[in-house]
Amino acid sequence: MASKETCRTELRSAVRHLSDRGLYSASKWAAEQLMGIEQDPSKHTPSHTRFQRGSSSIRRRFRTSTPADSSATPAAGVSYINTPSLMGVEEYDYDMMDSDFYMLAKSYFDCKEYRRAAHVLRDQTSKKAVFLRCYSLYLAGEKRKEEEMIELEGPLGKSNAENRELVSLERELSTLRKNGTIDPFALYVYGLVLKEKGSENLARSVLVESVNSYPWNWSAWSELQTLCTTIESLNSITLTNHWMKDFFLATAYQELRMHNESLSKYEYLQTTFSYSNYIQAQIAKAQYNLREFEQVEVIFEELLRNDPYRIEDMDMYSNVLYAKECFSALSYLAHRVFLTDKYRPESCCIVGNYYSLKGQHEKSVMYFRRALKLNKNYLSAWTLMGHEYVEMKNTSAAVDAYRRAVDINPCDYRAWYGLGQAYEMMGMPFYALNYFKKSVFLQPSDSRLWIAMAQCYETEQLHMLEEAIKCYERAANCNDREAIALHQLAKLHCELGRSDKAAYYYKKDLDRMEAEEREGPNMVEALMFLAQHCKNQKRFDEAEVYCTRLLDYTGPEKETAKSLLRGIRYARDVEHFPP
Amino acid sequence: MATVSKPPASFAITPHKLSICILVQVYAPPSQISVPFPFSSVSQHNSLGIFLISLTKACDGIFEPTVDELIDHLREIGGLLNHWLSDHLTRRLSSLSSPDDLFNFFADLRGILGGSDSNVMDDDQIMLDPNSNIGIFIRRCLLAFNQMSFEGICHLLTNIGSYCKESLSGYPPYEFSSNDPNVPSEFENMDMENFNYEKDSEDFEESSMEVGRIPYRGHASKVFSELDEDTNMSSSSRLGHVDRNAEVTSCAFSSSDISRSSNSSNGTFLHTNWQVQGYLSEQADAIEKRGSSFPHNAFESMLKNLQQLAPELHRVHYLNYLNSLHHDDYPSALENLHRYFDYSFGRYEIALLCLGMMHFHLGHPKQALEVLTEAVRVSQQYSDDTCLAYTLAAISNLLSEVGISKTSGIIGSSYWPVAGMGTSLSVQQQLFVLLRRSLKRAEGLKLKRLVASIHLEIAKYEITHVQRPLLSFGPKASMKLRTSPANVYKELWLSSRLINEFGDESSVMTVDGALCASWLNSLKKPTGSLIFTQENETRSNDAFQFSAQPSSIPGSVLQLLGSSYLVRASSWEMYGSAPLARMNALVYSTCFADSSSLSDAALAYSKLIQHMAVYKGYKDAFAALKIAEEKFMCVSKSRILILKLQLLHDCALHRGHLKLAQQFCNELGVLASSVTGVDMELKTEASLRNARTLLAANQYTQAAAVAHSLFCTCYKFNMQVKNATVLLLLAEIHKRSGNAVSGIPYALASLSFCQSFNLDLLKASATLILAELWLSLGSNHAKKALALLHSSFPMLLGHGGLELRSRAFITEAKCYLADPSFSVSDNPEMVLEPLRQASEELQLLECHELASEAFYLMAIVYDKLGQLDEREEAAYSFKKHITAYENPQDTGDSFFNILSSKS
Repeated sequence: MASKETCRTELRSAVRHLSDRGLYSASKWAAEQLMGIEQDPSKHTPSHTRFQRGSSSIRRRFRTSTPADSSATPAAGVSYINTPSLMGVEEYDYDMMDSDFYMLAKSYFDCKEYRRAAHVLRDQTSKKAVFLRCYSLYLAGEKRKEEEMIELEGPLGKSNAENRELVSLERELSTLRKNGTIDPFALYVYGLVLKEKGSENLARSVLVESVNSYPWNWSAWSELQTLCTTIESLNSITLTNHWMKDFFLATAYQELRMHNESLSKYEYLQTTFSYSNYIQAQIAKAQYNLREFEQVEVIFEELLRNDPYRIEDMDMYSNVLYAKECFSALSYLAHRVFLTDKYRPESCCIVGNYYSLKGQHEKSVMYFRRALKLNKNYLSAWTLMGHEYVEMKNTSAAVDAYRRAVDINPCDYRAWYGLGQAYEMMGMPFYALNYFKKSVFLQPSDSRLWIAMAQCYETEQLHMLEEAIKCYERAANCNDREAIALHQLAKLHCELGRSDKAAYYYKKDLDRMEAEEREGPNMVEALMFLAQHCKNQKRFDEAEVYCTRLLDYTGPEKETAKSLLRGIRYARDVEHFPP
Repeated sequence: MATVSKPPASFAITPHKLSICILVQVYAPPSQISVPFPFSSVSQHNSLGIFLISLTKACDGIFEPTVDELIDHLREIGGLLNHWLSDHLTRRLSSLSSPDDLFNFFADLRGILGGSDSNVMDDDQIMLDPNSNIGIFIRRCLLAFNQMSFEGICHLLTNIGSYCKESLSGYPPYEFSSNDPNVPSEFENMDMENFNYEKDSEDFEESSMEVGRIPYRGHASKVFSELDEDTNMSSSSRLGHVDRNAEVTSCAFSSSDISRSSNSSNGTFLHTNWQVQGYLSEQADAIEKRGSSFPHNAFESMLKNLQQLAPELHRVHYLNYLNSLHHDDYPSALENLHRYFDYSFGRYEIALLCLGMMHFHLGHPKQALEVLTEAVRVSQQYSDDTCLAYTLAAISNLLSEVGISKTSGIIGSSYWPVAGMGTSLSVQQQLFVLLRRSLKRAEGLKLKRLVASIHLEIAKYEITHVQRPLLSFGPKASMKLRTSPANVYKELWLSSRLINEFGDESSVMTVDGALCASWLNSLKKPTGSLIFTQENETRSNDAFQFSAQPSSIPGSVLQLLGSSYLVRASSWEMYGSAPLARMNALVYSTCFADSSSLSDAALAYSKLIQHMAVYKGYKDAFAALKIAEEKFMCVSKSRILILKLQLLHDCALHRGHLKLAQQFCNELGVLASSVTGVDMELKTEASLRNARTLLAANQYTQAAAVAHSLFCTCYKFNMQVKNATVLLLLAEIHKRSGNAVSGIPYALASLSFCQSFNLDLLKASATLILAELWLSLGSNHAKKALALLHSSFPMLLGHGGLELRSRAFITEAKCYLADPSFSVSDNPEMVLEPLRQASEELQLLECHELASEAFYLMAIVYDKLGQLDEREEAAYSFKKHITAYENPQDTGDSFFNILSSKS
């Protein structure tokens, strides 16, 4: 990996280049990463460093537990070449003095008067001017498209409103590319245009070209990531080695649900960008998907301390708080984001979560609806709304909401699971199975999904116990925290008259309960069965052990245990002194 | 979200409508002359008027023609004027460049309308009656324009721009020669619907409906239309901002570049929701009718476009489902079915019903039964009686179609609809109870189509099942253990009577959308004939009137009616009246060919061809088969292929070509699905033929073993009728193996089966075999054999096929010859006549084995009579046939090669 100093200089100039071209979100991202690099203590005031150190204490605590940290440096063979552009970062500053035309156009651009900006630049031929003109036209077209979409919206939903600038932009940019007079920024616009026109393969190669020659444009990387929806397409692109590539790969892995790979990438990146909020949030996301809620909570607490007005990714934090039923923390968070910016889908989602936790599902739905109005493709809001409708027993609406979620992203296993659950609630277990199958296919390592499917098989309508057993076995194999699977397996085998297998699972369940120091009716049931079973098998010593343990409980079990013990003694006597 | 107010009516101004307005202005200018300026004669003027009327009627269609198409139409009617008209049209259109132009245009348009109460007209002033067709159209346009927002006007202008651009930049204008009748098809090709309406104009179009398919068709469409109404209702209440009664897509979208990049010059205009729905239900009918020959990919991409344009139109998913289902694409069908019903907001029991049907259709009886049971449960839970009735009918259909030996293994729960009856009932009895119950339910709910199809189903049940008492205890009513044909015909009559009632209420039944889609089709039809009637302008009137209403009886009802004839045909086939069976199949094919699906048509073909093979010999049958093969090439899983293999097998057996016969028989067996209980008919058929082949190869033990196991299967799956045939085959095997005594019980058993199922023809042939068996026991039984034979002679000769008749003749001759009291020399014709008959018919059938026997007997008789010439002749024929039989590969090989190479 490049040294911190190189990263720092590269990012510094990148922020300038990007904001100079109106690529604001990319420049925001670059600036964030720039600040994420540990500051050179010699150049800064002591108070500044103290703040940084103090805040990182919690993080250290967690980082020591992950050995990946030290071993994350790349293998010796991988040499991080400096990309060609690096030799002259200043190359992208071109002439230090922008032309007057460009300055006027840029001002218009900043005021969101895109067509005016493009018009000013109509005869300018410098690369920078060409880029800004194309970008302005593209944005103007997008703006008009949005307006038209509302104007033309019919009863059947969206219209076919399209960005009318695409055709001419594509024509111009493809000629530029053929002539070789195209710079990486224009390539990025070209990629955007191609993606929107639906020619994804070409878009992918154009974007690869762009990031290979100018790697610091995060927007280009993000676009590229949305085009790599399968692991095959990700492997098919050739990227030059640059530290920005690691950021890209980490996101791509996350989207492809390779959470552990993504996590190790981020932890490796953290060695350089140790104060990057972005990386922290991404790590939180990965941990969230791995269901490590404790860690996620800690990370977010720290993030909020460093960056109190942050709204991005906070919906995930609220999900964690929801899962942990932290009422006051969730309300505090909701209040905070609402004061910061109430018209962000994330804010609405957080409020929705809060109401849901309070059991006020109608209000909760209202806020999820608002989130969806702000962003129709906001996946988690559809799913969460589905959950709310399930709570409200409005299954039809729940089904509709879940279905919209899976139509947006067919890999959303939560929504598939929700669909299955809704249909099961309506008394259609066989129909629900199809959805459970989909969800376990997408997330085969989640025991809850397997258990849900098994319970579906177990319903009195279907009563397909063999299939249920198979599902429970899968669930037991993948870290079933609530330990439902073992108990159910034992019960089912018992029901089917396979007492050997039932005993095996009861024993396993018992061991586990002992290890986790849990008590309860399951314990009694297991002991009871095992005692009876061992007695039938004539393993009297074992049976006696179970019976004596049962004697610790009150209630009918105690009496049964006593009579069992008597029976055992009698049977022993018979064995030793046959009449 | 939408702040722009939408036009309230289901009418939006499109460039095409604007063009019509321009033409109307030409037609009725505010001038004083009786024949206005550009027209030279009254008839010319009138023809434009008629054209305009048809255009205004067609403007509710889904797809609007492009300006080029409009100009082409204009050329046909315009005659000398066409240049002027098309120039005027394009000029006017391109002159509309600013919103103000549009305002002025519509202000002018108002001028041509007459006053509302102007019954008194100036004689020389042309005024458009505001209540005429064209007048109403103009008024609707004016209203729509007045209600348009400024944004709407901007979009209209853009659309006009692209509409005009098409005519300029598109392909060079068409050179139309009125001599060439093929020309119009070319521009019709650009129309999307076109691919569904290529007419099957083959000369003999005969179709029949596979027994048992009916209810499937019946409900799928019915349920669908009911559901549709329902979803419309529920969704309109749900989506506040969408008023489905005033469905409007506020603008026509020119999506030429998206939808058909191949056809760049072609603009598609998507219209109101209402029209799209109509189009979709029309397509659904087409898919169900044509099955796998429906163009899968083309339609899929079209649906994709539609979905892009209207993502809230979930019915597209249903069409997608149907399309994949009929192309046997299981995963995609499943996916789309689930998606459609997820969006349907309730009525999930219908989802289950459809899913069950899907599994049934794809040959997964177990899953189908599971799903349908769940459907019963859910419809009871939501007290959806209609759906319950349909589901019960579907289950009974499933039970009668699929061989299920025991339901208890599949459905162990108490939810099984006839569980109350106890598990002691056999599947068949459960089916009987189910049918009765669902009939009652359907009658109570007044679901006429369902009632009719259940009657049909009961008729089918009665054909093959003996009534038994349901209770196994208590006083037993005396019951004749026979099927009752009278009941069958009563049910059939009830079924068709119900269907006849549809004639009256049909107008209510048609979906409005379908009507307007059919308008557009009918617009296309006359254009072809227009070319010919151009000179004779009075006749072009008729051409427009030809654009008729859609058929007054819904297609599914016609299908049901047709299938009742098919049931009749197959019942007569079973009872053994060949002419009646054939007649019913012919009635079906002549009256219901249009409404039947392709696979049913194929079935009818195969019935008729089989008849031909049995009664007329193979030559004719194979000729007919060839025609059928060409016609049904596109149908996958075709009955025709099965028929072909059956015919080839029969033919090979007759010629003694055993290896080939075995091969065909194996091929036939492979066609059946491997799932237990599915394709039982085909499976039994294949093993029956297998036994026959083994018998012909004189491998008696193996043949008997195959026949035995077949008997067990039939018994297990309750296929009693088939059992009669199997028993007969066993008798035959014993006879051939020279073990006549043990053959007689089989023949008698078969006889009693035939008796209780009223299988008269089969009974006659069982009697024939019995006679043969007696005969082979010795000459002292000859008289008895002859008496038996003569008792069934009328049936054998009247309804039997060529082979059966000649066998009867030969046996008769043999009986006479074996009878010691009969002397040949006294009565030679008694023997010779039947033998001559037999030999003639057998030669037609190319059945060498039996023919050689006939000639052998003839030679002996002639020898006895001392007629040496005739004897030699007969002996020669005998030799010819016996060599042909023993060396089958020498003769007629080419015949098989032709047929088998094609497969």
